[in-house]
Amino acid sequence: MPGLVGFYTFGEGRENWDASHFIRYGLSALQGRGQESVSLAAIGPGGTLHTLGGKGGVEEFFRNNKTSIPKGFVGIGQTSSYSDDHLVHVKAPYELVLALDGKTDLHEYRDEATKLFARQLSQLLHSEKEPLKATSMLINKIGGGYSFIALTHKQELISGRNPLGVKPLETGSVGFDIAAVASETCALDVMGIDHTGPVEIGEVIMFTPEDIRGNAPASDAGNFCSYEYVYLARLDSKVNTLPVARVRNNIGRELARAHPAKADVVVGVPETAFPIANGYSQESGLPQELGFVRTGENIRAALEPTQKERLVGVQLKLNPVKSAIEGKDVVLVDDSVVRGNTLRNTVLNLKRNGAKQIHVRIGSPSLISPCPYGVEIPSRDELVSSSLNEKELANHVGADSISFLTVEELQHAIGLPKQSLCMRCFENGGAAR
Amino acid sequence: MRVMGVGGGAREHAIAWKLSLSDHKPEIFWVAENRNPGIDKICKVNQGELRTGRTTDPKTIVRSARGWGVDMVVVGPEEPGFHGIPDALEKEGIQCIGASQDLSIIERSKVDLRRLQWENNLPGKLLFRTFKNAREASDYIRKNIDRQPWLQNIVIKPARQSGGKGVKLIEDRLAYLHDDKARFKEAYFDSLQSSMAAYSDIEDKILVEEKAWGPEYSLQCFTDGKTVLGTPLVQDNKSAHEVDSGPETGGMGSISGPDLALPFITSEEYDKSLKIVEGIVEAIQKKTGKSYHGMVGGQMMLTENEGPTIIEMYSRLGDPEALNMLAMLKTDIIDIFQAIVERRLSKLKLEFTNEDAVVVKVVAPNGYPEKKDKAKGHSVQVFETNIKRNGCYLFWGNADLQENGEVVTGGSRLLALMAMDHTLPPASARIEKTASSIQLTDGWGLYHRSDIGSEQLIAKRRDSAEQVRRLYKYREERGTLGKRMEWVPKVGRVDPSQLLLKEMYGPEKA
Repeated sequence: MPGLVGFYTFGEGRENWDASHFIRYGLSALQGRGQESVSLAAIGPGGTLHTLGGKGGVEEFFRNNKTSIPKGFVGIGQTSSYSDDHLVHVKAPYELVLALDGKTDLHEYRDEATKLFARQLSQLLHSEKEPLKATSMLINKIGGGYSFIALTHKQELISGRNPLGVKPLETGSVGFDIAAVASETCALDVMGIDHTGPVEIGEVIMFTPEDIRGNAPASDAGNFCSYEYVYLARLDSKVNTLPVARVRNNIGRELARAHPAKADVVVGVPETAFPIANGYSQESGLPQELGFVRTGENIRAALEPTQKERLVGVQLKLNPVKSAIEGKDVVLVDDSVVRGNTLRNTVLNLKRNGAKQIHVRIGSPSLISPCPYGVEIPSRDELVSSSLNEKELANHVGADSISFLTVEELQHAIGLPKQSLCMRCFENGGAAR
Repeated sequence: MRVMGVGGGAREHAIAWKLSLSDHKPEIFWVAENRNPGIDKICKVNQGELRTGRTTDPKTIVRSARGWGVDMVVVGPEEPGFHGIPDALEKEGIQCIGASQDLSIIERSKVDLRRLQWENNLPGKLLFRTFKNAREASDYIRKNIDRQPWLQNIVIKPARQSGGKGVKLIEDRLAYLHDDKARFKEAYFDSLQSSMAAYSDIEDKILVEEKAWGPEYSLQCFTDGKTVLGTPLVQDNKSAHEVDSGPETGGMGSISGPDLALPFITSEEYDKSLKIVEGIVEAIQKKTGKSYHGMVGGQMMLTENEGPTIIEMYSRLGDPEALNMLAMLKTDIIDIFQAIVERRLSKLKLEFTNEDAVVVKVVAPNGYPEKKDKAKGHSVQVFETNIKRNGCYLFWGNADLQENGEVVTGGSRLLALMAMDHTLPPASARIEKTASSIQLTDGWGLYHRSDIGSEQLIAKRRDSAEQVRRLYKYREERGTLGKRMEWVPKVGRVDPSQLLLKEMYGPEKA
């Protein structure tokens, strides 16, 4: 899953802005969405589209490519959880580069589906007179769940969100000189750009050297990804105008009300589950303890590609604080359970360090279906909850009890109507709309 | 009675409209650079005519006024004032509503305005510095940025009006983007230097001001030099596109009402703002020895350091803000103008509707403001019945009526649509219903800002006003309003205001 950033400038002196510097920090803020590869495209006064992609995290990418970073006053970039995920560069008939979060239904495989989308966009921009209308037609025609940012050789930056609205996309601006688009508001904050609101579902916003244009958004309610609120989005972001921090606190409170446990302390698994544990503690009255200390960089262990890397990730970030849990009954709060191995490792670790009973509370329903829109939720045979019930899972990980938020409880905690939330990963079937 | 107007924008169309509604039934004459279709029609209906000509040329204006034998001239835009049109008319014994050349310096020279404020210790000012050239500006900032942190977040302006050079707002709060911001500042200094090189009448060519943040609003006033009468506050929107994004324009639309203040400005803040504008009028009259008679306005902002603060001054009505104010005005405009020329404004009570809010939205051709050449020369079609049916008014701006009756875009803001209702959002909605009534016959696009007057945008302004108000009220309670104090490691206390006075006027003044 990628995090996207688009950077646009206006007015006199725009050639003095270096888009890559802003995008670098914007992408750094989005590494929670993936840090296996980075790519960047920019266009400047010369009118040539320059692109570059590479493996690894954002800092590594910029460090390793100091002299070859694409320069220009308009640019787009992405950081992705796939190591071979790069901007799609279509040279003809209408040259453009495309970054897409999510998946179109043009092909079974995500990368092929994205390429086909880029080609169709290029074709339409070439044949249709009005590029805004053309793009709007395209996203209404092509199904799936996706948000995208494209940059053309004519210095047009086209951003959009398909009518399903699964994937987030936000806009911002500062002064009279700069506008930006990003997967999350935290990226705008970090670039020093004021958030101005989401790209609405079914909306296309197009920045050109002459103006900013938008089409009328879709009238349906949308189908926002609920996993953004649980895990994917950063705590300091707003997703679909809701602050993620508030939703995670609500999730913790809902969890405490619906799934209480007799215990001495609440401990959250770093770091996504901290605010959930916080909410659980506030609602239950049980004190929250910081149970772990991280070694090294912040790693999204669940997004690591191999089991060994995931375990390394977990072990490095989960060194227990013995005094916080020794001799105590612990409510261990996590955001979700994918394969169960990391949870098993964590529970075992706490018990070895002297915790008595461990009651695991998960801030989302059981993950039982893969995501049809490109979030790396593995296939069903890798999802522990698709074959073990709560009791079996408790035994498997060595916990005294385990319970998950139900779909209804999660929806209640988010506070949006059920029909405007995508919960396919928590439901059987899970097919794309 | 014969009245002549000067200027061809939407503001002047609105003034002509108001004149045509006067009980004095004036004959209306006009001089404008473009044949504004709205003004042209009003003149014809009211036994007058519109003549095109250079509105900054005193000879042209005086000749027309004499030829038509007018009793009074109303000057709309700022440029004729800058070029001494009111002075030339008065020399000929023709009454004129408009700031004379010397007085209009409060708008023409942003440096003189700031100096006036600091010399007289008037409230509502911002820290500033002026520079002779780009090198001086860059060096000063580089050397002083640690001691005077306000230099991080600045507004860069040409020290005087100069061929469409805009202002740059640069926030340099993030250390990791400092080099980018510094480079941009320096490049803009260079660019200003080269475009200002032609003006030998001023020494300092670059103005740098403390960048404040907060909601902006305009307070437009009538004055006869002795009395300054305030009118309802208006908020203009300067960014070209929705949600305040995109390049700077002359103004894309404005809101006002239903009473004197705006939904996010208190009446206490209104009173303070009026005092500030009065202070400027008094100070500039004292300095020049001239009497101010005409319109004056403060482009204000609520700021954390000062509360109501002057961003810039108008030596005329705002465009489009004039449309809001004139729509709300109940007093006969000729009565006001006569009271101004006879210096008896203190006896006049201005009346405004307190039942209606007003929304104005500017319609501009695609390409404005960045590529005006592309926005120019398109033929306009208007479906007037649809505009009337929705209770909206159309005011022509940068449009030109051709011999054959065709109206052609001039490349700048084409026209403004105005609607009134009990509150702002329904007035905004009326305009949205009629915006498609204006089209360009060749299919070139037009745009306007749908968000002006919307509930969301008002809420955003209200939030920002409340944030700033909390901060400036805190200062007010602690007695630090209007003061700036820094503490710099190894230097100690630094007062940027004292530094400013010392550098400008020498140590004794400070």
